[in-house]
Amino acid sequence: MEVIAVVIFALALALIAIEWVHRTKVALAGAAAMVLLGVIDQEPAVEAVDWATLGLLAGMMIIVGLTEPTGVFTFLALRVAQLSRGRPIALVFLLAFVTGVLSAFLDNLTAILLIVPITLLIADLLRIPAIPLVLVEIVASNIGGTATLIGDPPNIMIGTARPELSFLDFIVNLAPVALVTLVIVTSGLALVFRRQLRVAPERAAEIALLDAARDMREARKVRRTLAVLLGTIAAFFLHTLLHVEPAVVALTGATVMLLVAADDVEAALERVEWSTLFFFLGLFVMVGGLQEQGVVDEVAEWLADVTGGSSRAEGLTILWGSAAGSAAVDNIPFTAAMIPVVESLQGDEFDDGLWWSLALGACFGGNATMIAAAANVAATGILDRSGQPVSFLRFLAIGLPVTLVSLLVATVYLLAFQL
Amino acid sequence: MADLRSLPLVRASVPESATFADAVSALFDARVPALAVLAGDRVVGVISEVDVLRAVFPPYLAELRHTAFLDDDPAALDERALSVRARPVGELARRVDVLDGDDSETHAAERFLHTGEQALPVVDHGRFLGMLSIAALCHARLEGAEARR
Repeated sequence: MEVIAVVIFALALALIAIEWVHRTKVALAGAAAMVLLGVIDQEPAVEAVDWATLGLLAGMMIIVGLTEPTGVFTFLALRVAQLSRGRPIALVFLLAFVTGVLSAFLDNLTAILLIVPITLLIADLLRIPAIPLVLVEIVASNIGGTATLIGDPPNIMIGTARPELSFLDFIVNLAPVALVTLVIVTSGLALVFRRQLRVAPERAAEIALLDAARDMREARKVRRTLAVLLGTIAAFFLHTLLHVEPAVVALTGATVMLLVAADDVEAALERVEWSTLFFFLGLFVMVGGLQEQGVVDEVAEWLADVTGGSSRAEGLTILWGSAAGSAAVDNIPFTAAMIPVVESLQGDEFDDGLWWSLALGACFGGNATMIAAAANVAATGILDRSGQPVSFLRFLAIGLPVTLVSLLVATVYLLAFQL
Repeated sequence: MADLRSLPLVRASVPESATFADAVSALFDARVPALAVLAGDRVVGVISEVDVLRAVFPPYLAELRHTAFLDDDPAALDERALSVRARPVGELARRVDVLDGDDSETHAAERFLHTGEQALPVVDHGRFLGMLSIAALCHARLEGAEARR
């Protein structure tokens, strides 16, 4: 039975990596196979689902889905382009910063879906290629998302799996290293792309004349939705003081948003990406199957043997290993599988350094390849639909060096402060 | 028994080798929201007003929801229009469900509701009969009911 569990999971990972069929179909088929073949019984399968993660994701999808029509994100991106005044390095840094911040406080996939379409328009207006800007945004979204509990799916899963780690813990322990990494990596990308992003002065002058606020017509609705969005983010900061879990914060924010900003509840709920939620659900059941069969404990024991029980060696192995795993298959399933491994590895002694190692490895590893993170898939999909496809190798040429630099920064940080 | 053959079908079509510009002219003249793209007398797809819109304007518009701040950039729009004019329309044709001449009006109405198309090809044993638009279907139903009263 143990072999069956491993074969199903490995097959699912491979199918997700090669994108032969939609990842949600793969995850659900893998979960169904594990339950039907008796790898995991039905009740433990239901218990294996981390409903808090699904609630957190669904809540944020509703909140952002109802904020987006106000035009506030378009306003933000356009103002950034105007502020750059056509200077390539300023444009790269400003777009990276906005994407990083949006990723940290909304989540990186959402940030990409909001920022990339308007970036295509900005590039068109400035007569510069869009691909370098979008690549910068992808990188910034994965690094920015590393900074908070809600910024990147691996962090959401880690944060809900380990209630000891609060929203503030994530910020205190991950935001500084994410910020330093973002500055270093963006500087490198700005240097690489600066020649391609030269803007003719008349184009910069033309974009400066656009009235960025013109689309925000319903001022009252904009104020209400922004108040709920910012209130929800504030509640994330205070969730331990308020004694509520992040998922409760997100779902409460979503409910308030539905009350104050949704004219049509059915339409508002269509903003929930059900395929993503079912993807997570299938993954949780598959990982539950691995746990039931003792595979997770065996991997943890192997890891402990390899590292000789040294927490430094364990942390760095988790960091680099999870980055490599995320690059190969997608950081969401890899993190789902690694969470119980880290739990088993640390035993009864809670060691937050190992969790930060996992978060940094999975989130930074998300930049390595086109398939390593959901944000990459979404952004390159938008580029593809707009007739500007990016090949796997072109992405890799940027993503791999970025990931290596990020991991070096993370290694120094973990050794100095965490492990 | 009434069927779709008795409705005012419009023989609006272009061969798949026609240029995009020819197709847009035919669409403009035919006053129907979509044309059949044909290989011989067989339907290989349709090209609708929305398809034409997507081809003439920047493709990322479909991803954007807010553009009120924009002014037209005539040079960029002209450049795009010129680049798409000569493309064979077969490259842009979409496969859609076709209606059969024997189908009922109610079935056609249900297909319009669920495909989101504004006009669909009607065929008889695979041979193109004409395009049926929502307006033609509903107009025929209203006028027919009045005449039979």
